[in-house]
Amino acid sequence: MPTDHASSGQRRAATETAGPEPAGADVFTATVHELTQRAPAIVAAAAAELGAIRLALHFGDGTGGALSAHRSRLIATAHPPASADVEVYFDARAMNLIFDLAARPIDEVLPGSLDVRGPRDQVLAVWRTMRLLSQRASGLRAVQELWRCYRDASPHLWGKPPSPADSVIDGEPTDGWAAPRDTGWRALDFFDHRQPTGDRPLVGGTVASAPRSLWDGTRATGWWLPEPVADADLVDVMTACRDRVRREMNRLIPDRQPKSSLYELIRAYPTRQGKGLRPTLTLAACAAFGGRPDDAVRVAAALELFHNGFLIHDDIADESTHRRGLPTLHTEHGLGLAVNAGDGINLLAVDAVLSNLETLGLARTLGLIHEVLHMCRETVEGQAIELEWIRRATVPRSDQAYYRMSTKKTGWYTCISPCRLGAVCAGESGPALDVFNEAFRWIGIAFQIQDDVLNLIGEEALYGKEPLGDLLEGKRTVMLIHLMRTAGHRDRVRLAELLARPRQGRAQEDAAEILAAMQHYGSIDYAIDLADRLAQRGTQRFERDLRALPENEGKALLRQIANYVTTRPL
Amino acid sequence: MLPNLGPVGPFPDAPLGDHLERRWLHYAFRSPSGDVSVIANLSTLGSSGPATVGQSMSILLVHDREAGWRSSQFNATVTPQAWSSFGASKGPSRMRISGLSPGPSVDLRLRRTGRPCTSQCAPFGFDQHLRWQSEPGIRATGLAAASGDDARPVRLVGYHERVRGRWGWPDLGGWVFGFVNDTPAPSGPPAYSVVFTLITPRDDADAATGSVMLWRSGRLVRHFPRRRIDVAVSGALPRDNVHVFPPLAATLGTAPTAEVPARLVIVAQTGDDRLCIDVDSRTAGRIVNPSELGLAPFSVHEVLGPAVVTGRVGGRQIGFTAGAVVEFAGGAHAD
Repeated sequence: MPTDHASSGQRRAATETAGPEPAGADVFTATVHELTQRAPAIVAAAAAELGAIRLALHFGDGTGGALSAHRSRLIATAHPPASADVEVYFDARAMNLIFDLAARPIDEVLPGSLDVRGPRDQVLAVWRTMRLLSQRASGLRAVQELWRCYRDASPHLWGKPPSPADSVIDGEPTDGWAAPRDTGWRALDFFDHRQPTGDRPLVGGTVASAPRSLWDGTRATGWWLPEPVADADLVDVMTACRDRVRREMNRLIPDRQPKSSLYELIRAYPTRQGKGLRPTLTLAACAAFGGRPDDAVRVAAALELFHNGFLIHDDIADESTHRRGLPTLHTEHGLGLAVNAGDGINLLAVDAVLSNLETLGLARTLGLIHEVLHMCRETVEGQAIELEWIRRATVPRSDQAYYRMSTKKTGWYTCISPCRLGAVCAGESGPALDVFNEAFRWIGIAFQIQDDVLNLIGEEALYGKEPLGDLLEGKRTVMLIHLMRTAGHRDRVRLAELLARPRQGRAQEDAAEILAAMQHYGSIDYAIDLADRLAQRGTQRFERDLRALPENEGKALLRQIANYVTTRPL
Repeated sequence: MLPNLGPVGPFPDAPLGDHLERRWLHYAFRSPSGDVSVIANLSTLGSSGPATVGQSMSILLVHDREAGWRSSQFNATVTPQAWSSFGASKGPSRMRISGLSPGPSVDLRLRRTGRPCTSQCAPFGFDQHLRWQSEPGIRATGLAAASGDDARPVRLVGYHERVRGRWGWPDLGGWVFGFVNDTPAPSGPPAYSVVFTLITPRDDADAATGSVMLWRSGRLVRHFPRRRIDVAVSGALPRDNVHVFPPLAATLGTAPTAEVPARLVIVAQTGDDRLCIDVDSRTAGRIVNPSELGLAPFSVHEVLGPAVVTGRVGGRQIGFTAGAVVEFAGGAHAD
């Protein structure tokens, strides 16, 4: 797993702040980190290419790093390994060839810039890995920014950057307004230097598609020909989708009395937003089926409202004290107001679904209602199963029981239903909607297991819940199920006694004791491994079940999300 | 319907031989403020049948900034006769085009302020070609109505073109065409006008024909040939900003076509002369032309938007911003 958990912002700041020049190895590891966040499908493919090869990297500034793969994850470190299968030596200029598009390779490469040593087949595998990474990274704004910062901080490594202001054409200095390169006037160069800015579009067009040439003096391309399908920067797209749906949610919440005891609570709760997984899935599925992402915004907002309503009630049922880093609603405002606010949010969500009548028509709106009802039924059934386990102080023996509960409780509303609802917005109905079920069922379970693992070993600030909150609540996780299945008799009796206590009867020390037992019996490693396997199964089903869908931006985005689970750092 | 279009030669006043032979007159005008735009196309197709009677089609589009796009069907009436600066009578003349009520209508007095370019020809396919001749800086004053009786006085500047050739839409592929007139003096020609064309046949990627032409004060001063121009596009105009015409096309469930590029950049250079045209698409009217050779229609997107023209020609710096009309046409060979 990546050793460095710093956020991309921190990394960028590290390269931007004055002080010692950033090291090539650091920029490289930061690049891999960005790719993991923003293009998980590419990282998964690159990890598959790299396989068991251990790669050592030596940079021109004297620093070194290592790259290896673990399942679908790429592990980049800024420390050279003791031994490696393939060694790559490249000077700082050669790094430009890999990730930075600010200058053209032909202007940068020097003889001997790049030296790769190792067995032939492994060198080729490394080459394929780096090609995958570099092609995708060159299209990610965040990575380019990272390299721009490095370039600015270490100008002597790169040579003189092209500057419009001092370009010379035919021996004459230009005015600098439209002479992008010394190479002359080209239409594509003009786009490079004068990109329009504006609102980020939703899924259709989320990719800042590269300008394309229709005629360069020798070859023509019809303007009507479709552009090659590209996949998006996952982080940027999720942020855009989340913000767009958030605005729609605000629009749906009425500005009326009683405010302080109802509507303000409802309005404040959605500000505790997550990554935007569900909105992105809904909009991407709509685009994947040929619909307009904007058509799915309202139902995505309704889904978020349902989700918030469920969370408020779920926190009450689980007696949770924190949610998304803040006190839960019932902790802050009391049980009665929280229950009522949860009911109110659910009503607003129903209203939001119905309001699609005017824009999507009767047939699609009925389809949405059908899907939403199904989702709600699955969710309350899953919640009932888990609450019953807790009430009876039982822990299921098999993982299958957990799969069933998890699919019902969170799988439907987190993964499966958002996809189905998006497809309904695009006009799809009937069995065609089932293509999402299996793939996103496994992905959803894997995602939930990873969330449970993060609750135990992740940082509170990142996860947003109280530390060891799941253990305090007695939540039936895969780790707990594995622990009760594998623990010795004496330990099992002790654990059963701890789990039988009510929520208030369990102290932080008790949770720590359960956690220690999990670590002792390898339950956390088991869960991480299981999540990886389930995620792999999900991505395989994705490719198989959605084969009939044309390759478009929506599908590419769904693929990125599917692979997000396999490459997510834990 | 169409007038005598000049001397025998590139544009012979001869009967159209078969159903692929055609000729047309094209008009496109914009008010300097961009409030009103008028686009009209009058075409005649030949006939392979014994009757040898050609088929005439006329369509008028009016874009009003407030009312949006309005279009006639393909049966707009033209009276008393289509004006053309290429015809026998090159002087000012009145021309009325109107759709059937309550369609758009214009009653304009047209006048040339400059000279046309020499004709250009795009050969493609086995024995097909398209020949055209352009003239920017045409002035039009009179009345324009988006619909019904809301006619208002307008002073427009635009472009006129005559076309003759023999082609089938699928083989033609498509084109990118457009013009920009710098804001003119009250009566004279625009200080600068730019016309660009790129015709991209379906099958031959290297057989594209194109040009960029620059007029100064009504005179053609530079012609950049096809090898010296460079065309690129970026982004896509939102589909909500693309309106399908004629109105009948919408009721026939016309299939969607490719997205219209949001931005077009054309760079031309030869010797020390350089010109860059940067057009920002804002709205488009899609004219759905039936194809004689297939089910897929040939779509001509009449795109309106601001353009920035910069460069240096003959030692003079050029730079102006004005409204452009661009055509993105194609799609007849799509499934």
